[in-house]
Amino acid sequence: MNEHRQAVRLKGVGDGLWVTIDPSQSVDLLKRDLTAIFKRLNEMAVNSKVTLDTETNESHTNLLDELGLFLKDRFRVATVSAPPNRRSRSREEERIRKRDVDRSWQHHRSHVLMLAGRVRSGQKVTARKHLTIMGDVNPGAEIVAGGDILVMGSLKGKAAAGYPDDEEKIILALDFQPEQLQIGGHVVTGIPSFKEGRAQFAHIVNNTILVDDYLKNNPFGRLPWPEVL
Amino acid sequence: MEGKIIVVTSGKGGVGKTTATACIGAAMAMQGKQVVVIDMDIGLRNLDVVMGLENRIVFNIVDVVKGRCKIKQAAIKDRRIDNLFLIPASQSDNKDSLTPEDIIRLSKSLRGRFDYIFMDCPAGIERGFENAVAAADEALVVCTPEVSSIRDADRIIGLLYAKSITPKLIVNRIVPEMVARGDMLSHEDVVEVLSIDLIGLVKMDDKVVVATNTGLPLVLQKDSEAGNAFHRIAQRLNGQPNLPIENSDNGKGFWRSLGRKLRRRN
Ligand SMILES: Nc1ncnc2c1ncn2[C@@H]1O[C@H](COP(=O)(O)OP(=O)(O)OP(=O)(O)O)[C@@H](O)[C@H]1O
Ligand SMILES: [Mg+2]
Repeated sequence: MNEHRQAVRLKGVGDGLWVTIDPSQSVDLLKRDLTAIFKRLNEMAVNSKVTLDTETNESHTNLLDELGLFLKDRFRVATVSAPPNRRSRSREEERIRKRDVDRSWQHHRSHVLMLAGRVRSGQKVTARKHLTIMGDVNPGAEIVAGGDILVMGSLKGKAAAGYPDDEEKIILALDFQPEQLQIGGHVVTGIPSFKEGRAQFAHIVNNTILVDDYLKNNPFGRLPWPEVL
Repeated sequence: MEGKIIVVTSGKGGVGKTTATACIGAAMAMQGKQVVVIDMDIGLRNLDVVMGLENRIVFNIVDVVKGRCKIKQAAIKDRRIDNLFLIPASQSDNKDSLTPEDIIRLSKSLRGRFDYIFMDCPAGIERGFENAVAAADEALVVCTPEVSSIRDADRIIGLLYAKSITPKLIVNRIVPEMVARGDMLSHEDVVEVLSIDLIGLVKMDDKVVVATNTGLPLVLQKDSEAGNAFHRIAQRLNGQPNLPIENSDNGKGFWRSLGRKLRRRN
């Protein structure tokens, strides 16, 4: 019995279902245990994204393919895949994930430059990584960051995030009225779509800078666990 | 006597620094203080003309600094207003003839002789500005309700803070009718961006030009709204910081009620 319980385990229900399997067990045994678990999940399994994690560095492609077909067939799950970039889930990543438990970020030197106050015309603030301004950025002022930019006030000057070429970064302001925006190599002048009284952020979608409502889009939703920036 | 040095500056040219220096200096002298106004715009002197004293210039600020004359010889006494003196700029030198150290050295004797020393700063942020602010205790930033003027004032404010000087704001050349129509930024819009203490609002007033051309000081013209505004600024500087900014005689209270239509433009 003990062995059975360890052959298949449901680890998490986050973005989808994360299931670890013991690849050394027979396919039949794995199918039987998967059936037990997925029956219990019932409707939740339908159209879900399933990740089958063998917890090894080998690929086990055939085994995963067979179990994948089985799950799609029996339980109508949407997709079945191996964990993303298995190989990069190194010691380093394990360590980062564990920070939640050991609170090692308390000993971490921050890569965020955080300033309180008003950035005025002619002033330029440059941060190697992320930049947070607890205040306003006036017309004629310039803020530049290698990472993300958060302005907890009004942004009326120029802002460049992901400088010089990181297109993943965002520029967020509670009052979003920039003169010019740059993300990676992309530039827009004026405010693409300003909504008074709304927190907005700029990001790159299909090679263009788009401005969206912050609360509706939650640009940080893509980050699954707390990480030191 | 331990006089106070106040620099009048703006960044942008032509917004009313010289006018403000002359008027506030004169108004302060009329309150019984010993006042000297100094033209720091070396090479482009102006303050003497605005004050109607250009014919009486013998020595200038560069002469004083270089030791070619005493402060007493260079300071021209105004004939109409007691206690008011002008030290003019030199027309033939350039701004590099003075250094910030020169001004700091000079400031000691100025402080001993006058209650208030107003420095009329040249436009720009180069040597002339450095000289004018070198010994300043306080700064008045003059700004008009225009985007370019606000931009330059903001730059100057950043530089003043970096020199541990906390500036106060004068918004000049306001045309209430244009503000009401939404064709001009209101002083609230200006203050919102610059976020420093406002010390005075001065309307656009034809009498300013008339005063310059006739030599009759604006602050002596009882019916000049701009002149009255400068009187109030002087009072606020001189121990009445809580005197309301609004002109009591204008009654309508339009300063408060004006629209914010242009807000998005700056
Ligand atoms: N409140 C006002 N109403 C009408 N005209 C004004 C007002 N203030 C200033 N002016 C006019 O604006 C012009 C510029 O003023 P002023 O010379 O005081 O500016 P400035 O800042 O000293 O200029 P500069 O940078 O060249 O030294 C002058 O012609 C002056 O008469
Ligand atoms: Mg001038």
